[in-house]
Amino acid sequence: MPQFEQVSVFGSLIFWSLISFGLLFVLLKKYAFPPILEALEARQEKIRSEIEASETLKKEAQEIKLQLEKEFQGAHAKAESIVQMASNEAKKLQEKTLSETQAKVRQMQADVEREIETSRIKLLKEIRSYTAQLTIASTEKFLKKSLDEKDKKRLADESIEEVIREMEERSRN
Amino acid sequence: MSMESPLHHFELHPIIPMSVMGLDISINKAVIAMWIGSAVIFGVFMLVVKGGVSLIPGKVQSLAEMILEFIGGMVEEFIGEADRAKFLPFIASLFLFILACNLIGLIPGSYTITSQLVVTGAFAVGIFIMTLVIGFGRHGMHFLSVLVPPGVPKVMIPLMIPIEIISMLARPISLAVRLFANMTAGHTVLAVLFGLAMSSPLWVGWLPFGFTVIINGLEIAIAIIQAYIFTTLTCVYIGDVIKLH
Repeated sequence: MPQFEQVSVFGSLIFWSLISFGLLFVLLKKYAFPPILEALEARQEKIRSEIEASETLKKEAQEIKLQLEKEFQGAHAKAESIVQMASNEAKKLQEKTLSETQAKVRQMQADVEREIETSRIKLLKEIRSYTAQLTIASTEKFLKKSLDEKDKKRLADESIEEVIREMEERSRN
Repeated sequence: MSMESPLHHFELHPIIPMSVMGLDISINKAVIAMWIGSAVIFGVFMLVVKGGVSLIPGKVQSLAEMILEFIGGMVEEFIGEADRAKFLPFIASLFLFILACNLIGLIPGSYTITSQLVVTGAFAVGIFIMTLVIGFGRHGMHFLSVLVPPGVPKVMIPLMIPIEIISMLARPISLAVRLFANMTAGHTVLAVLFGLAMSSPLWVGWLPFGFTVIINGLEIAIAIIQAYIFTTLTCVYIGDVIKLH
């Protein structure tokens, strides 16, 4: 095997391989590796800082979201209370209006009833006077004589009572 | 047609004869191939640096970054995060150097310097010495406690120390032999198959030739895997002496 037999080249191989490796090592270490390693580190740093920045932004966004949600809920509750208040107010107003109207109606009814009663009394009074006069006149004609005051009154009262009774019966029917 | 020895292509002959203080340091094919491989690695990295390292990487920069990140992860895992910056350049250079030497040898007519046991041995011994230096440098004489695994009964200590010494010495040997054997075996298989292809008539020669293509693909994977294993084990050995058990 030449690798074991060619002893004469051993010195040269060891010498040149170690020298060459040493030279390559020095050159790479001095000129090639530092810029590349620096670039790697810079990139790593950039990525890290950007990730951190994005995480901070995310956190902020979440905080803002939470705040907005809270505000939205507050606004919603406020709106609900406003609607509730308005509806209560409307209800109250409605009730007030209703009761006022009812009172007014009752008042009007009472007025009308009173008026009717007054008219009725007035009418009855008139009927009474007409009936009295009619009864007296017809009785005088029938008897061909004039009646004294006592009979006049009795006749008139009887007739009136009868007429009124009849009227009431009629109205009842 | 006689078949050439499949081991013949491992022979080296001086291209530029040279000697320093009696030591023959002639430049041969293996050295030139290694230089080309190293130059390609350095060239690729300088291409990235000279082209301007940008925050948004291009294709070559991505590749360079991927390699450094990968090796950085390895260093962090086996040596520790605190020593990443200290050891990353060395481990990355080692990985890239071995990878370049392994891969350049797959080009027909080229040479894999890592198929020379003396080369892998020199690296393994160098790394072994380095681990000893790191160990003593970090822990002083307490480093010798690495020879006594924790929890061992005192009676066993005289037995454990020789065993631990042997296991420690076995590390550089296994490290060197693994890389050398893998590279040699792969190239030998390729040489055998190619020899068969060349020495047979065309109607049957296409078969071993086809195999050389497939094995060559496999060898690319092996070249990468062996470079990875060599550097991983280096990290493990350095990590062991730093962490001590």
